[in-house]
Formats: sequence, structure tokens, C-alpha cells
Amino acid sequence: MPRNTPRRRIEEKLYAQYMDFFEKAERERRWNVFDDIPWDEANPEASDDLALCAETFASVEMFLPDYTAGGLNVVRDYFGRAWFQANWGYEESKHSLALGEWLVRSGKRSKDEWFDLQESLLQMRKWQPLFTTARQMTAYGMIQEQATFLIYVKHRERARQENDACLAKIYDYVARDERAHSKFYQDVIKVLMEEDREGTLVDIAHVLANFKMPGVDLVPDYDERILKMRDAGIDRNVFIRKIYLPVLKYLGVSRHEMLSAQRKAIDAQKKAQANDDATHAAE
Amino acid sequence: MSDKDLLQMFKVVAERVDKKSFADITRESVITDLGVDSLSMMQIVGEMETELDLQIPDEDLVEIVTVGDLCAKIENRMGA
Repeated sequence: MPRNTPRRRIEEKLYAQYMDFFEKAERERRWNVFDDIPWDEANPEASDDLALCAETFASVEMFLPDYTAGGLNVVRDYFGRAWFQANWGYEESKHSLALGEWLVRSGKRSKDEWFDLQESLLQMRKWQPLFTTARQMTAYGMIQEQATFLIYVKHRERARQENDACLAKIYDYVARDERAHSKFYQDVIKVLMEEDREGTLVDIAHVLANFKMPGVDLVPDYDERILKMRDAGIDRNVFIRKIYLPVLKYLGVSRHEMLSAQRKAIDAQKKAQANDDATHAAE
Repeated sequence: MSDKDLLQMFKVVAERVDKKSFADITRESVITDLGVDSLSMMQIVGEMETELDLQIPDEDLVEIVTVGDLCAKIENRMGA
């Protein structure tokens, strides 16, 4: 087995990064839904909008079987990333569980309503990965987890304002997890850039151009729900201020280098489209 | 470069990036109301910076709401 290959170098670095991530997760970030959430501090008088947002987040998180299967299939040949994906699945599983429990324990939804929602969502819809390669999926995770982190932080504040210490605590734990996931993905991208900077940047540009949050095609009435979520202070400017610019800075990429990658990604997409059209015309 | 030239440049670049018409824009037009998303906005800014050979500081980008805000940032850099 050849050892001094780009793939082997990447694998060794990513394994070290995963071990670092996992050690911090095990030592500093673990929480459980039984002991660490003040369930008796859920506020039954909290607004319906607060409950609708929690239900929306729980719904998006509920597609965990699809996310896990999709993510693992793409990275199964890469040890560090595959193990990360398995750990990611465990951490994410607590998110929908905690939010669902809050909906029921706060009295905002009955147990039947909660089970009806689970059944209807998972039987009627299935999440499909937006991208096909491990590198593109990593870039997607880097952006999506950072966005999710910010959304949960905003909603933690909203829960506090509505005197729901229970939901605020849940959002606190969930946001912390999402931030750690985004950071891991950013570190992976940094390693991938060391081996192929241009190709990695083109992949990031491609992901950004085709980006959508996972809930868009999964949760019924998502457009209406997103308006309620934006009431918490999530707007388009947040993307630039809190996601795009900080991520580029962390990766050591200037806006103009990214712009150049965007142009290349657009050219590549046009070529792929032209090839597809030619193939269809020939059939 | 005059106000009018910058507005025209925004229009040409935005049409190239977003593949749609921006015929009726003014300096007062709110960029998000034009249907320009955050990423396209970054692309438009970057293309204008390249053409004019200048760079708006990152921290100024988040203050841009209208087309006029962007033109003013560019005018500041041109005068700097």
C-alpha cells in the first residue's frame, strides 16, 4: 500500500483533526436530554410563534436518517470523516428529540400531534443530498452548520425573552453542537485546500451558488414558517456578516480569490450543462 | 466617474451576474428588493471592484443596503 500519497496525507491530517474534535466533544460538550435540561422551566404561556419555530426546527432535524445515510455514503472511504459523520448523527439525534420533548412537555403540542408530524414527514418526504462528492458535501456542511448555529443563537434569545428557560437551554446546547460541527468542516476544508486549493475553492463556489437549507423541500409551508423565523432577526445581511466573510477569513481566502473561483464554477457548470444537452440531443 | 456612470455600471454588472433586467433601478433602490441575494451581491461588488481596480473594506460591505450605498462606498475609495 503506497503511503506517501496526497490521499494518505489528507487522511492522516483529518484523522488527527477528528481526534481533536472528538476529545473536545467527549470532555467538554456532551449533554443529555434527561439530566441537563430544566424541563420544569418550560413556559406553557410562550407564544405560538415560538412553538411554530421549535416545531419547524424539530421537523428539519427529524430527517436525520436521510442526512446520516447520505452523509455516510459519501465519506465512507475516508476514516476521519466517516467517524465524524457517525458522531454527528448521534449529536444531531438529540436535537430533534429535545425539541420534540419540549413541544409536548410545554403543552404546545399533544403527543398525538407530535407522532402525527413524525409519521407524515418521514413517510411523505425524503431528503436527497444536494451534492455528490465528499468535498462538496463538506463545503455544504461548513456553510449550513454555521447558518444553523446562528439561527439557534437568535432563537435562544427569543426563548429567553419569552421566559422559557427550558427551550433557551435546549437552543444553547444545540447551537454549541452546530458551531462545533461547522468548525470541524472548516478545518477539513483547510486541509483539502492544502492539497488542492483551486479545486476546493471552485467546489465551495459551486456549493454557495446552489445552496439551500435542508428544510426548504422537506417541511410543509416552509416559506411561511421562515417568515416567523426571520422575526427573530435572521436576515440576508447576516449571511454576509456572520457566515460568508468570517468563513473566508478563517480559510485565509480573499473575496477576490473567491470571486475568481465563482467564475470558474460558473464556467464548469456551463460546460457540464452543454455536455448534458449534447448527450440528450444525441439520444 | 459620475453618479450616473456608477449606476450604469451597477446595472450592467448586476444584469451579467443575475441574468435579468435591472432597467428601473435608482440610487434609492434597496438591493434585496431587486431580488439580488447575498451571494450575487458579493459577486456584483467584486466585479465592480475589479473593473475599477479598488477594494471596499469588508467591514463596509455590511452597511450596504441600497444601490446608492454601494456607489457611495466606491466613490469614497476612488477619492481615497
